[in-house]
Amino acid sequence: MTSDLMRSERGHDVAQRELLRTKVEAAASTYHEVDGWEEVAGHAAAHGDRVAIAPSLHAARPALATSLQDRGCTVVVPGTDDPAADVADVPVAIVAGVMAVAETGSVLVAEHELRDRVVTMLCQRLLQVVAADDVVDRLEDAAAWLAPRGGQAGFASLMTGPSRTADIERSLTIGVQGPDEVDVLVLTGTDVATEETTA
Amino acid sequence: MSELRSFDERYATALADPDVRAGLTAFQRGWRDSRDAAIADLEEQEGRSFDELRAELAAIKDGVRDDWQHHLDTFTANATAAGAEVVRVATPGEANALITERMQAAGADLMVKGKSMVSEEIGLNSHLEAAGITPVETDLGEWILQLAAETPSHLVMPAIHKRKEVIAALFERVLDRPFPPDDIDRMVKVARTELRERFLASSVGLSGANALIAEGGSILLVCNEGNNRMSVALPKLHVVTAGIEKVVPTYADAMKQVRLLGRSATGQPITVYTNFLTGPRPGQEQLIILLDNGRTAMAEDPDVAAALRCIRCGACADVCPPYGVVGGHAFGHVYTGAIGLVNTSFHHGIEAAAGPQSLCVSCGACATVCPVEIPLPVQILEVRENVARAGEAGTAGRVTRAALRAFQHPMLVDLGLRAVGVATTPLRRDGVTALPAALTSRGPLAERIGWRSPPAVPVRPARDTLRPGRLEEPPRLADQPLAGRKVQLFLQCVSDRMAPDIPIAAAKLLRAAGAQVTVPRDQHCCGLPAYDSGEQDAARSMVRQTMDTLADGADVVTPASSCLAMLGHDAPYLLRGDLDEVERAQELAGRTYDLISYLTRGPGRLPAGSLDDGDRTPVTVHRFCQASNTLGRKDAIEAFLRDVAGVPVVPLPEASECCGFGGSTSVRNPELASGILDRKLGCVDRTESSVLITDNPGCILHLRGGVHASGREVEVLHLAEYLVRRLPGATSTSQER
Repeated sequence: MTSDLMRSERGHDVAQRELLRTKVEAAASTYHEVDGWEEVAGHAAAHGDRVAIAPSLHAARPALATSLQDRGCTVVVPGTDDPAADVADVPVAIVAGVMAVAETGSVLVAEHELRDRVVTMLCQRLLQVVAADDVVDRLEDAAAWLAPRGGQAGFASLMTGPSRTADIERSLTIGVQGPDEVDVLVLTGTDVATEETTA
Repeated sequence: MSELRSFDERYATALADPDVRAGLTAFQRGWRDSRDAAIADLEEQEGRSFDELRAELAAIKDGVRDDWQHHLDTFTANATAAGAEVVRVATPGEANALITERMQAAGADLMVKGKSMVSEEIGLNSHLEAAGITPVETDLGEWILQLAAETPSHLVMPAIHKRKEVIAALFERVLDRPFPPDDIDRMVKVARTELRERFLASSVGLSGANALIAEGGSILLVCNEGNNRMSVALPKLHVVTAGIEKVVPTYADAMKQVRLLGRSATGQPITVYTNFLTGPRPGQEQLIILLDNGRTAMAEDPDVAAALRCIRCGACADVCPPYGVVGGHAFGHVYTGAIGLVNTSFHHGIEAAAGPQSLCVSCGACATVCPVEIPLPVQILEVRENVARAGEAGTAGRVTRAALRAFQHPMLVDLGLRAVGVATTPLRRDGVTALPAALTSRGPLAERIGWRSPPAVPVRPARDTLRPGRLEEPPRLADQPLAGRKVQLFLQCVSDRMAPDIPIAAAKLLRAAGAQVTVPRDQHCCGLPAYDSGEQDAARSMVRQTMDTLADGADVVTPASSCLAMLGHDAPYLLRGDLDEVERAQELAGRTYDLISYLTRGPGRLPAGSLDDGDRTPVTVHRFCQASNTLGRKDAIEAFLRDVAGVPVVPLPEASECCGFGGSTSVRNPELASGILDRKLGCVDRTESSVLITDNPGCILHLRGGVHASGREVEVLHLAEYLVRRLPGATSTSQER
């Protein structure tokens, strides 16, 4: 790859993330670029002392729970018996997204098991974490991810902001039956890439 | 849940509550602003127009129907591979029986429901209740309605007809604790606590589907509140109810729908949760019920098949003036808004479709915002024809047909209206017939007629005054763009008989610009009133008569834009059964203009300043709705007045919205028409202009009547009437009254 090309790609990445930030904020979420998972843990701990982690994420990154515990947090990983009760109204939850779509400020979260899904449904504040390399331009990029997975049981959700309603007199209320607050955390640090290539 | 009451009862209930109208007007205005901003952003983002984007989605949906079975089979195969059970049913009865049976087999007595219009369509809740099963609506709006024992009045905002005070009182009654009406946040939050328990206790959850994605067997399911995500995940059985028209081939197609759906529904670029469900989660069963219930029959009827493109965004209701007055309980059946006026007859029968039909004013606004380009106004008139046929034997049907039969005879109309003119001479003032106060201020007729003074009926129709040699030679303009050009004036039946000043002014103006104006003698009516009444045979015969009358190849100019909508737009469609007639209609359409298009785009282009007499009194302009919505006219009149007449124009809020005349609507449903008129005149008040200019005679008579009856000091003028006053040497008032 020539250095020119690298520069132009980096230029695209920066513009893409700026668009993502604008759209995420327009959807009433907050946007943060963080160096790595340690910073994610810090962000979570700043918002509550009970933090739920989706079991799939916990399995992939056991160190996350340790970082949270080091910061004095109780870590909740929902079990199989009554996962909804385990996480009901937990102050903070962390979920890893497959990709973030700059066009809409959405994070695509693909989780199938109930105990993974309840985490994003029942928490009060949701941290959606996505790697900078997984920021894409358009909804069609999400379609391209979904298409090869067709015909196989699964659940994927483009999440865009905290839950909301305008059912009463079209008056917008944020925070209805899902999370009241959503933070999108984009992992930009080099350690992220290293982790992924060695994984 | 309550069963739907009769149309008359629903209409009366809606009218009885002025709060409903105030709330709906505010809702429509707010929606318009958000939606327009969201669509403008989308156009910029995509570098393509709304029309291009919606044509693309419409083509996807139409393409599906070309190979419908294949796409449904592909969906079924993929969903089945992912572990779902897919069942296709023909009728609501089958769907209800299947769901009830499965729930009873599982020993379930509670169902948590996400929003599903198909479940409303099949009347699922009452069937479940009869079987001892409790359905719980979990969408906030739907839940409010369930507590109130009502049905949705809007496809997307089901409880939009309810004011916050009413909802607060409802919550107080049901939940037995105080709810301050201004604390909407608190009312919203109560759903979370009240419903959470139900989610956790229920073993069956139901959802609809915004799309069925064939290539993956996935359900696209969007929501904002987050309730749907729980009702599809937590229970052990997830039931999906969806119409077979919801299938799209690919995920990429679904994304195109997503882009237009949120923006059209609520002005959001995307809903908060845009979910793709493929099969059940581990430990769950998924039953997908695909319902026909008249959809195949719709697809086979070329007049209405395009209605199957509908993605249930509700935009057609959000711009609908009658909807803004009475709401969805009257304007529609289970499906509300313009789309409900089309699909109800297929899903719920022609009788269910009949009542709301009379409320449509044919303004065409719905078609301008539909994200899948459904020609709703044309389809509504097709259904109306079926309704008229089905009602032929009834009293109303017989009266309408008799009136239209009489109206097809120019002689009869001529004699009748001349007689009315003579009889009402003592009551004629300021262009209206001033009815005695005893009639309009109290008594049984007051509400129906008091809000609008009827037009004055002159003894002498315009055609008499316009006979060769009778009209004195008008002053000539310095520029004569029409010098030596022959123009056939099509008077329009309404103006000829009830507002003769309008065609007379148009004739003067055209002559002042140099034209040789002729008035073809046998002209009568373009057929629009018959078409609007669902009497297409009568309409066709009147169009043919008009084509015969105007067969001379010269330009045709009419001061009535509604006639142009008919002759320039509807006639070829109406005559589509006979290609020769279509060709004739198209030939006529090609040389027919309304006055403004003749003077701006046609041969009669007048140079800037040529009608500037120095008067700078500001005016405002009502844009005739069909000219805007059907003929695509934008600010032509305003620009002409500014540039050619030199007059300041104050923009009228909601300028293109219907004034409530709506052809026969204002006669059959005066309460509705007066509600729409109130909104229009309220906008006129905000401009503080004393002159209101427009160019459709029906609107003018209606607006004049409303202005007179409400005591406002606004002069309502046809563009031609306004302009002739500015001709060199003209006096400022009309001579021919």
